[in-house]
Amino acid sequence: MTEPAVEIRHVAKRYEKHVAIRDLSLVVPVGAVYGLLGPNGAGKTTTIRMILNIIAPDEGTIAVLGQPSTAPRTTDRIGYLPEERGLYRKMKVRAVLRFLADLKGVPGKVADRRIDEWLERLSLKTPERDWGAAKVDELSRGMQQKVQFIGALVHDPEVVILDEPFSGLDPVNAQALKDTVIELKRRGRTVLFSTHMVDNAERMCDAVCIIARGEKVLDGPVGEVRSGSNGRHVALSLASTSPGDGVGAVLSDARLVKSIDDSNRFFEIELADGADPQELLGRVLAAGARVERFEIVRPSLHRIFLDRVGAQGVETGVTGHG
Amino acid sequence: MDELRKLWAITRREYFERVRTKWFVIATVFGPIFFGALMTVPAYFAHRTRESPELSRIRVLDATGVGLGRRVASELIGGPMGDTSLTQVEVVAPDRLPAAERAARRLVTNEQIRGYLVLDARTVAGQSARYAGVNATALNDMRRIERIVEQEVLSIRLEDKGLRSVEARSLARMDLDLDSERVSDTGRGGSGTLNIVFAVSVAMLLYVTIFLYGQNVLRGVMEERQSRVAEVVVSSVRPTTLLAGKVLGVGAVGLTQMLIWLVAALAMFRVRAPILHQFGVDALAINLPHITPGMMALLLVFFVLGFTFYAALFAVVGATVNTEQEAQQAQLPVVMLLVVSISFLQPVLNAPDGRLSGVLSWLPFSAPIIMPLRLASTQVASGQVVMALAALVASCYIAVFIAGRVYRGALLLYGKRPTLGEIWRWVGRAR
Repeated sequence: MTEPAVEIRHVAKRYEKHVAIRDLSLVVPVGAVYGLLGPNGAGKTTTIRMILNIIAPDEGTIAVLGQPSTAPRTTDRIGYLPEERGLYRKMKVRAVLRFLADLKGVPGKVADRRIDEWLERLSLKTPERDWGAAKVDELSRGMQQKVQFIGALVHDPEVVILDEPFSGLDPVNAQALKDTVIELKRRGRTVLFSTHMVDNAERMCDAVCIIARGEKVLDGPVGEVRSGSNGRHVALSLASTSPGDGVGAVLSDARLVKSIDDSNRFFEIELADGADPQELLGRVLAAGARVERFEIVRPSLHRIFLDRVGAQGVETGVTGHG
Repeated sequence: MDELRKLWAITRREYFERVRTKWFVIATVFGPIFFGALMTVPAYFAHRTRESPELSRIRVLDATGVGLGRRVASELIGGPMGDTSLTQVEVVAPDRLPAAERAARRLVTNEQIRGYLVLDARTVAGQSARYAGVNATALNDMRRIERIVEQEVLSIRLEDKGLRSVEARSLARMDLDLDSERVSDTGRGGSGTLNIVFAVSVAMLLYVTIFLYGQNVLRGVMEERQSRVAEVVVSSVRPTTLLAGKVLGVGAVGLTQMLIWLVAALAMFRVRAPILHQFGVDALAINLPHITPGMMALLLVFFVLGFTFYAALFAVVGATVNTEQEAQQAQLPVVMLLVVSISFLQPVLNAPDGRLSGVLSWLPFSAPIIMPLRLASTQVASGQVVMALAALVASCYIAVFIAGRVYRGALLLYGKRPTLGEIWRWVGRAR
């Protein structure tokens, strides 16, 4: 059996005034897209920084591709996109990327070729304009993010770690990022990313780990996580809602509904014990609602996240120790 | 080996990114122009202003009884053809001297005369003369008066011995320039003044370069932290490597600039006399001080060590501040160390082998400037040099060690400024 891409065993990290990670163990298999979920301040960034040997754990061990994360060449096999992004602003895009490739030991010619490939792929180099020759300063924020993303991938790493990759991305760039992650997976790379946007994770990840207050809440393949959750759930979409209709009354009936996640037109409903979904559908229709979707589902990751982490799991996050 | 490759990558980036900036090009070009001006302009003005033209507008109180006053006055106004209305001579009896002095003092206060010169029996005996006036601090003026008095006393004495007054005068009149020469181990040396100029130039050059490029390190560290790029870099290299690469790269830039300046300065020495000649100043071609390759290497070592020491301190400051304003304040202690060192330039030059000089060459913050100053101006025992080097190397090690620790601690602390307590803990913590 091959070594896991990342293996964290009983890791703890304490700071002067708070505990960032209490006792965390997780395994990221090779070739997986793995999501590290948690509210702000849960310890996601601390965990990622420990994997990259930027900070050292107080206790426990971390192995990347079977090597201790402290071994000299280990971090060269990882690509990293930090949450706090930044590049040398006065440098030209190509020079920055060359430097980052240089740090990872990529020979100059190989680096140049790859940089051009990536610039073209993320449309930073078009027939009209080659942004590679521009200074980082002159790029828009979105373009800078792309450059940073290239910087994380330019040495063709076996493990790619992205800290909150979707934050600050517009839909177009988010889609480009998503496509690249899927492409990386196809090529057998391992992608580990942290996010507090659970919807993204649900759609992309093979497996997830939810952490809160420095501890693991649950982990495993997404399917298992969802089926492992108790209760019967219904997804309900309405064409429109208005305050006067009777739908509100139906959904607040405790005989039918145990809990509800109300997103105005979309509802994720946990049925009360012994309640019949047919009855719920009948009542909703009787109330005059136009139903677009009514489906008995396994609870979404979002729902599980809220249930398990809860409001009390969200500590006031400190930037930099998320 | 791997870390060395990364160190090289960082050093290269720091070096080339800086050398390519406009700032570097401008400083490098204007440096030599500035030095050139420094070498020619003072000489030009010194030539223009030998002594104050008002020098002769004084009163001579002559209590010698041998007519010394009249002779001095005649020389002061430039010989028999001079303007006799300028210098007044009052022949007084020795017991009336205090009253005459009071009267003269009033005239000085009323600005009718510049000052008064008292000549008495002690003057004739070759012991003393007194001058009081508004220009008493003007060195050139005082030296001129002193020389004239000496010359006239000498010619009076020669006449007493039976020489004819013309002969006595021509014998006594001389205008000697003291050309001092420094002797060193190698048996050769340039002129004494030139060695001082050289020594001061070396000290100033080291001071300026360490100052400028130390601050450069500070700004680099600060920007790296502000722009968050530091996190990407330390995910590939150890923070200490990043710091070391930065110090090396910036130091290499400083060295490059210094070498360019040095070559330019040497060239300037050669063209100085012709340039001055254009302005009608006859300056002697300056013979360059004799510098052995060993000495050159030693000065270089002091620069490298001194820069490393200060760069580490500046890096600590850069790692703990978030804005330019904070940096201005926080760097003050480091800047003070540098300024204090250079402010001892004069005392050290006066007594390069004194105790003060010895102590300052030991202290790590002043050694990189004071020791080269001494090396260039006098003969320093090799034992002392070795000890100073050892002390400096040890201090560098400690400074870099502390800087590395603080750097690592502060690098990922965004937005807030660390407290002294936190900094202290970082220094104490291995990781």
